[in-house]
Amino acid sequence: MSVWLENAIARANSTSDWLSPIRSVSLAALKDTPWPTRKTEAWRYTSLKSLERATLSPSPSVNQDTPEQIDGFESFNLVFRNGEFDLDSLTQPLPAGLMISYLPTASEEMKQASLDEFSQIKPGRHLFGLINDVLAQHVVRIEVAEGVSISQAIRITSLIGLNSESHTRVFVKLNKGASLTVSEHYQGNVESLNTGFVEYDICAEAKLEHYRFALQTDKAISLGGCHFKLGERADLNSTLVGFGSDLSRVDTDIIYDGEFATAKLNAFYLLDGKELFDLHATVEHAVPNCTTLENVRGIVADRAKAVFNGRIHIHRHAQKTLAELNNRNLLLSDKAEINTKPELEIYADDVRCAHGATVAEIDKHALYYLESRGISRSKAQVMLNFGFINELIDQMPNQVLAEWIRPQIRNRFAEMEVTR
Amino acid sequence: MTEQIDKALEREYEAGFVSDIESETFEPGLNEDIIRRISAMKNEPEWMLEWRLKAFRVWLEMEEPDWAHIKYSKIDFQSISYYSAPKSMKDKPKSLDEVDPELIRTYEKLGIPLIEQQMLAGIAVDAVFDSVSVVTTFREKLEEAGVIFCPISEAVHRFPDLVKKYLGTVVPTKDNYFAALNCAVFTDGSFVYIPKGTRCPMELSTYFRINEQNTGQFERTLIVADEGSHVSYLEGCTAPQRDENQLHAAVVELVAMDNAEIKYSTVQNWYPGDENGKGGIYNFVTKRGICHESAKISWTQVETGSAVTWKYPSCILKGDNSVGEFYSVALTRSAQQADTGTKMIHIGKNTKSTIISKGISAGRSNNSYRGLVRMNPGAQGARNFTQCDSLLIGDQCGAHTFPYVESRNPSAIVEHEATTSKVSDEQMFLCRQRGIEPEKAVSMIVNGFCKEVFKELPMEFAVEAGKLLEISLEGSVG
Amino acid sequence: MSNITPTTEKSMLTITDLHASVEEKNILKGLNLDVKPGEVHAIMGPNGAGKSTTGYVLSGRDGYTVEKGSAVLDGVEILEMEAEERARAGLFLAFQYPVEIPGVSNLEFLKASVDAQREARGEVAYTSAEFLKLAKEACKQVDLPLAFLKRGVNEGFSGGEKKRNELMQMILLKPKLCILDETDSGLDIDAMQVVANGVNSQRSPDRSFIIVTHYQRLLDYIKPDFVHVLSDGKIVKSGDASLAKELEAEGYAWIHNEPKDELEGDLL
Repeated sequence: MSVWLENAIARANSTSDWLSPIRSVSLAALKDTPWPTRKTEAWRYTSLKSLERATLSPSPSVNQDTPEQIDGFESFNLVFRNGEFDLDSLTQPLPAGLMISYLPTASEEMKQASLDEFSQIKPGRHLFGLINDVLAQHVVRIEVAEGVSISQAIRITSLIGLNSESHTRVFVKLNKGASLTVSEHYQGNVESLNTGFVEYDICAEAKLEHYRFALQTDKAISLGGCHFKLGERADLNSTLVGFGSDLSRVDTDIIYDGEFATAKLNAFYLLDGKELFDLHATVEHAVPNCTTLENVRGIVADRAKAVFNGRIHIHRHAQKTLAELNNRNLLLSDKAEINTKPELEIYADDVRCAHGATVAEIDKHALYYLESRGISRSKAQVMLNFGFINELIDQMPNQVLAEWIRPQIRNRFAEMEVTR
Repeated sequence: MTEQIDKALEREYEAGFVSDIESETFEPGLNEDIIRRISAMKNEPEWMLEWRLKAFRVWLEMEEPDWAHIKYSKIDFQSISYYSAPKSMKDKPKSLDEVDPELIRTYEKLGIPLIEQQMLAGIAVDAVFDSVSVVTTFREKLEEAGVIFCPISEAVHRFPDLVKKYLGTVVPTKDNYFAALNCAVFTDGSFVYIPKGTRCPMELSTYFRINEQNTGQFERTLIVADEGSHVSYLEGCTAPQRDENQLHAAVVELVAMDNAEIKYSTVQNWYPGDENGKGGIYNFVTKRGICHESAKISWTQVETGSAVTWKYPSCILKGDNSVGEFYSVALTRSAQQADTGTKMIHIGKNTKSTIISKGISAGRSNNSYRGLVRMNPGAQGARNFTQCDSLLIGDQCGAHTFPYVESRNPSAIVEHEATTSKVSDEQMFLCRQRGIEPEKAVSMIVNGFCKEVFKELPMEFAVEAGKLLEISLEGSVG
Repeated sequence: MSNITPTTEKSMLTITDLHASVEEKNILKGLNLDVKPGEVHAIMGPNGAGKSTTGYVLSGRDGYTVEKGSAVLDGVEILEMEAEERARAGLFLAFQYPVEIPGVSNLEFLKASVDAQREARGEVAYTSAEFLKLAKEACKQVDLPLAFLKRGVNEGFSGGEKKRNELMQMILLKPKLCILDETDSGLDIDAMQVVANGVNSQRSPDRSFIIVTHYQRLLDYIKPDFVHVLSDGKIVKSGDASLAKELEAEGYAWIHNEPKDELEGDLL
C-alpha cells in the first residue's frame, strides 16, 4: 500500500463527525482492497506511480481562484476550493423546489437522512470512491422536488492549488418527474490530488442533463467519478469531456433501477504530451426495457495514453434491453498509446446489444481530398480530427456549453502534432 | 419456444464409452520423482528431464490464474495420475498388426479407422491414447516427401536437434500456470516438421482420447513449417462419460518460417459433463504460433465439449506481412463454461489478423470471448478485423465479450465489432410454416450463424463439426 | 354469420365460428369462411380488424390462442396441429415481412422445407441435383437472379425480393391453400406486377388462395372470386370483385356506421 494511502487512512481514523458511521464502513472496505498493480484488472493500463511520488499536503494552501466565466451560461454556482466548499455559494436565491444544502452545517435530521443515501449509488469497487468516502467532509446535497423543472443549470466547480488535496462529494436527488441540468467542472494544472465524486439519484420520470468537464492538465492528479441511478422512465443525457494530466481517471456507472429508462452517454477526450486519461464506464441493466446509447471518442497525440473500459452488463431478466456502445479512437503519434476494452456481459436472451471499437489513423482519402483543394496537410489534419469530435460537441443539448468548449477543443487540436 | 430449442440442442454424448484396456497407470501424485518416472518411461535423454524439472520448479512458484469468467472447484493436482498407457504399448508395437485390437476398435468406434486402407485418403493420423501415441499412419508416404510426422516422444530421440531448437520457444515455460505444468509432465503428442518449400501431401491429424479414470492428459504438439512450406493439421478429442472431472492441459506450439503456412483446425468434443454439470473435462490449453516474414497461421476451432474451456489460440505476427487468423465456434449447453478467444500480437510491418468468433450459449451455460489485439510500435500499416457474435438460447445462460485492444502505432487499424442475437420466434415460425421440424429449424439457424467459421474447416472436419451441430445439406448442394 | 350457403361441393377450407386471442385480447370473434378448390378469396378491412391474425391463427403461430371454432383444410381439422404439420397438410402463408435467417442459404432452406413436406407425404426426397434444377426453374419464374439461391434466407433482400422469394417457396412447395398476407405492402407497381403474375401462374383448380390486403390495388392484378370485409374479428360484408372497388371508393369508415345485424343477411 502506498505511503500516501496509509497517511490518508490515519487522517480518516482521527476524524470524527456526522459522517463517521459511513467512514468506518468504507475504511474497513479500504483495508481489504489491495493497492492496484498492473495485475489489477481495473488498473491494468493506468499506473498510480505519479500519485505515489506526488508531494501532497493535507492542510490546503489558500486558494483565491475563481471559476472561469462562461458567457451566457446561466447557473447556480457551487464552488469547492481545495476541497473546501465556498459558503458564499449558498447565498444565491433559489427557485421553489430546488434545495441545496451544505451538510456539515445542516440540521441533524438532514444529516441523518443523508447517511442513508451516501454511497448507495456509487459501487464499492472503486478504490478512489472508497478513499473519497473516508476523506470527504464538505458534502453538498442538491434536491429537486417532485415535478419541478429547474431551468437554470447548477454548476459545480472544483478548483485546486499547489500540493493540495481535494475530496469533494455531492449528492443529487431528482424526485419524481423533476428535471435539472448539472455541469461539473474540474480544473487545475499544478501538482495536486482531486477525488471528486457525485452521486445522482434520478427518480421515476425525472430528467437529468449532465456534463462533466474533467479538464485538469499537467501535474493535477484527478481520480473521480459520477454515478447515476435511474428510476422508471427516467432519462439521462450525459456528456463527459476529458483532457489528460499526469494521472486522470473518471469512473462512471449508470444503474437502471426502473423500467423504460433511457441513458445517452457521450464522452470524448483529447490527449497530448505525456498525458493520461482513463475512463471506466459501466452500465448495469438490472431491469428490463431500458435503453443505453454510448458514444466514446478519443484522440491521442505525442506520448499520451488513453484507456477506455466500457462495460455493459445485462442482468438476468433484463429482457428487451437495447444497449449500444461505440468507441472510436485516433492515434496521432507512434509514441502514443490507446488501450480500449468494450465489454459485454449478457444474461438475458431477448436483448439487442452491440459494441464496436476502432483504432485508426486519419482517413487518407479524406486527407488527400482536402489537400487537393489546396488546404495544407497540417490544417487538413486538424480539420478532420476536429470533425471527429465536433460531431459529439454538436450533440450537446446545451448550446452555450457547446460553444464554450468548442474553441478550447479546437485550440487543443491546433497544438497537437501528427508525428510518425 | 425455448423448450423446443433446448430439445434440439440436446444430444447424446456418443463418445462417452469406456474401452476395456489394461493399462499401466501411475499412482496419483505430482512431485519430482513422478516427473523422473515419466521421463524414464519415455526413455528420455538427460536434457529433456532437466527441462521438465526446471519447468516443475517454475510451476511450483506460480499461481493458478483466476481472471477467466469461469467457476470450477479447485483442482487437486496431487489426486491426478500423470501417466497411463495401455500395457500392450509397453513393447512398442512395430506395426499396426501388433497393436491391441481393442485400441483399434476404440478408434473405429470414434469414426477414426487406423488401418490405412480404410482411411479417408489424404489424412494421416496420430492416435494418442491417454499418455501414449498408439499409431501414426502413412508415415512412409510422408517421409518420401520429407515430412516428419511422429509422436513427440519419438521425435525427442530421432530429431533431438529440431526439438531442442523449437520446443518452448513459442510458449515459454513460464508463460502461464497450465503451460508450466504441461512442460513438467507432458506425455505425448505430435511432432511435425515440413521441410523448406514442401507442400505436405496429406492432411495431418491427431486424435486424442482420454480413457483411464483419474488421469490427466498433458499432450504437447510442436509443428514447424520451414520456409515456403504448407501444412494443414487437424485435431480431435473425446473422453468417456465419467462423474468426476478430468484435467486436460495441453500445449501446442506452431512455428511458421518465412512464407510458410500452417492451418490448424480443432474439433474439441471432450466429455462436457452431464446436464447438472457433474463430471466433464477441464480443458486448460495453451496454443500459440509464431509467424515469420509473410507467413500465415490460421486457427479454426469448433468447441462443443468440456465442462470448462480455457483456451486462447494465438498468433505472434513477428515477420513483416505475416497473417494470423482465428475462426471459432464455441457452443456451451447445460452447465458448460467456456472462456475462449485469441491473442493477435502485431510486431511486424503490414501484418494482418482476422478474428471471427461465434459463441452459442444455451441451458445454464456461460460462454465468453476473450481476445487481445495488440499493435506494437513497429507494426506500421498493420490491420485487424474482429467480429464477435453471440447467440443466446434461453434466459438462463450468459454470453460475454471481453476484447482488449491495445494500439501503439498510428498507422495501424483495429476494428472490433460485437453483436448479440437470439433464435427469434419469427425465424422459427418461418421455418415451421414451411414444414420444417423445430429441431431441424434450430440446427439450421445455429449452423447458419456459424457458417463463416465452418467454411474454414477442411472438408473432412466440416462434416464432423456439422454432425456435432447437426448440420445437413450445406456443401452437398449448390 | 350462421347461414353459410350450404354446399354439396367439397371445400378446400372451412372456417366455422373461429374465436382467437393474442395476449388475452380477443381479435377474432366468430369468423366464418368457406373456400372451394380453385377459388381466390380476398379479405379486406381496416387496420386492426384481424386480417393478419387470421393468417397466423390458421398457420399455428405461437402466441395466437384459439378460443373456439374450427378450421378444416381439405377435410382435415388443422387447429390442433403444430405449425409444421399444418404446412405439411398444404397450408402456405406468404409473410408480410419475411424474416431474415443469416447464414442459412436459401437453397438449403428450400430443400429442407420441400424434403420435410415430401417426407410427410411419404414421397422420396429429391436428390441434390434434382432439387437444384427445380429451384433454378422457380428462381427464374419469379425473376430472381440464381445467386439468390446461395444467399442467406432473405438476408439483405429488398422488399420486392423478399416477396418474390416467398413466391418462389410457394412454387416449390405446391400448397393446397395459400394465404397471402399484405403481399403488396412495400412494393411498387412493377414489383407488384411480377408477384401478381407469379401468383396467377400458380392458380389452378385444386389450389385456393386467400389474399389479405388493406388496399384493393393488388386485386386489379389478381382477380378474386370473392371479396370479404373483415371488421372487429368478423366478416361483415361479402361480395364479388366489385366490392373491392366499392371499398376503394368509400374507404372503411362506413363499416362502423351500419348496424351489423342488417348486414348479416348479405353474407355469402
